[in-house]
Amino acid sequence: MKIKKKTNTLRYYAHIYRMILAQDLKSKMNYRADFIISNVGIIATNVSGFIAFWIMFQNFPSILNWTYYEMMFLYGFSLIALTPVQLFFDNNWNLRFQVYSGDFIRYCFRPINLFFYYISEVFDIKGIGQFAFGAGTLIYAWKNLGLSVTPLIILKLIIALFSASLFMIAIMNIAAATCFWITNSGIVMVFMFNFKDYARYPITIFNSIFRFIFTFIIPIAFIAYYPSLIFLRPDNVPLLTYLSPFIGIIFFYISYKVWITGAMQYSGTGS
Amino acid sequence: MNTEPKKFNLNKYFALTKASILEELSFRANYLVTFLGNLIYLCVIYFLWKAIYNSSPHDIVNGMTFSDTFIYLVLASAMFNFLETYVVWIMAKDIQTGKIVVDLIKPMNYQLYTFFYFSGIYITYFFITFMPTFLIVLFFTWGKIAIGINLVFYVLSLILALIINFCIDFLVGTICLYTESIWGTNIMKEVVVLLLSGATIPLAFFPETLRKIVEMLPFQAIYNLPLTILTSNNTDPSGYFQAIAIQFFWVVVMIILSALFWKKSIKVITVNGG
Repeated sequence: MKIKKKTNTLRYYAHIYRMILAQDLKSKMNYRADFIISNVGIIATNVSGFIAFWIMFQNFPSILNWTYYEMMFLYGFSLIALTPVQLFFDNNWNLRFQVYSGDFIRYCFRPINLFFYYISEVFDIKGIGQFAFGAGTLIYAWKNLGLSVTPLIILKLIIALFSASLFMIAIMNIAAATCFWITNSGIVMVFMFNFKDYARYPITIFNSIFRFIFTFIIPIAFIAYYPSLIFLRPDNVPLLTYLSPFIGIIFFYISYKVWITGAMQYSGTGS
Repeated sequence: MNTEPKKFNLNKYFALTKASILEELSFRANYLVTFLGNLIYLCVIYFLWKAIYNSSPHDIVNGMTFSDTFIYLVLASAMFNFLETYVVWIMAKDIQTGKIVVDLIKPMNYQLYTFFYFSGIYITYFFITFMPTFLIVLFFTWGKIAIGINLVFYVLSLILALIINFCIDFLVGTICLYTESIWGTNIMKEVVVLLLSGATIPLAFFPETLRKIVEMLPFQAIYNLPLTILTSNNTDPSGYFQAIAIQFFWVVVMIILSALFWKKSIKVITVNGG
């Protein structure tokens, strides 16, 4: 390996990530049936969500001036924005087991960023099925809404999706990190994870208390609603939408700091 | 197991119930979070369907008012939280780790053993998470849930629903013997059960043909029938008896199906090392 010297560069980390990823995928390939069934499962979840939407709009023409295709847009957008947390950050779900059993200590002795090393260990392939379904739904909605396709709008979409994905990652980082302090972090994770299902609705359906909570405390409104306004309500985009990439980055950074702080005061179990 | 005595001694099974209640009670924080989750879900469902009904020109859609739909969906979710005891997960994990061998040599029928092991969890969840949610909904929508004979039938219907649900879980847990994919198998079961039972969207909203098909499947007996019994203000109990009869039919069918499938599958079990 030539890049031994520069252990802090992005390239070095990308290289490490590829190496770990390859190992993970090799071990996953031993369970091919599991891969197929898990992907079918995650697609089935989304097909059922899709059918539920469809049935709802068979009975009601619109929800607070949001049409069927606009709701589909939010749904597809939220699925894509929730893909990175599934694909790259799934190891957070194992954190509490490793911390309680003491296995976590082995991560602490590596000469690379602890958070990076821990998170890169698992690449959860079932996110691919979710991404494919989300992309399909978004394209379907995009076409039927008659939205234009220009390089600028594609660039906007990518930025919007990228910043939207940071929010759920940050929420789950903090939820997982609670295991450094409390023993019941599993239920905290499930509790927080379930909020993602409300991201697909326009926040205007809620009253002001819930709008405040979903914007500033558990910021799921940034997963689909705020970024989608650029495309769906271009004449009336609130300031929060433009700020969302920055809020996303700040929020992610805070979650990273919380995670690292927890890990740093971790003293192992003595085993 | 053939060593099982002909005469059934239920006491040994109730010992399991008692043990699992005690085990469950040591995880009190779980209930608080589940209950809190139910409350938030209750609010979200309220706002969502309020917005939906406000956007509609009619107050009654498919024979359901806003409060009917609200009660139906919140209680469906509360029922889900108490019915989902992760039978599939625990069965599949026991198969993977080999712990199942220890359970198989016990002088009990494995399906009954599993059922009674989980019965304590069902009972604790019923009283600690389902009941408070039910009471909140009852007071929140005071007068909308009729208090009378329907409550008696609802409880009876709930027990039958629980048995059907358990048999489906047991069946899916058995499938894990073959698939070795716990997450994927379980999530598919959850999706199918929740959608086709009317827990996500009341069956009354389904398009005609889809509803006709779904009504012939066992899933609607888990959520749709009990909740329809509860929310209907019928004074004539013949409708209730009909619903209970349908449920009873599915209880018998599912018990036979799951027991037969288990009997057939147990022959193929391979436990690594044990």
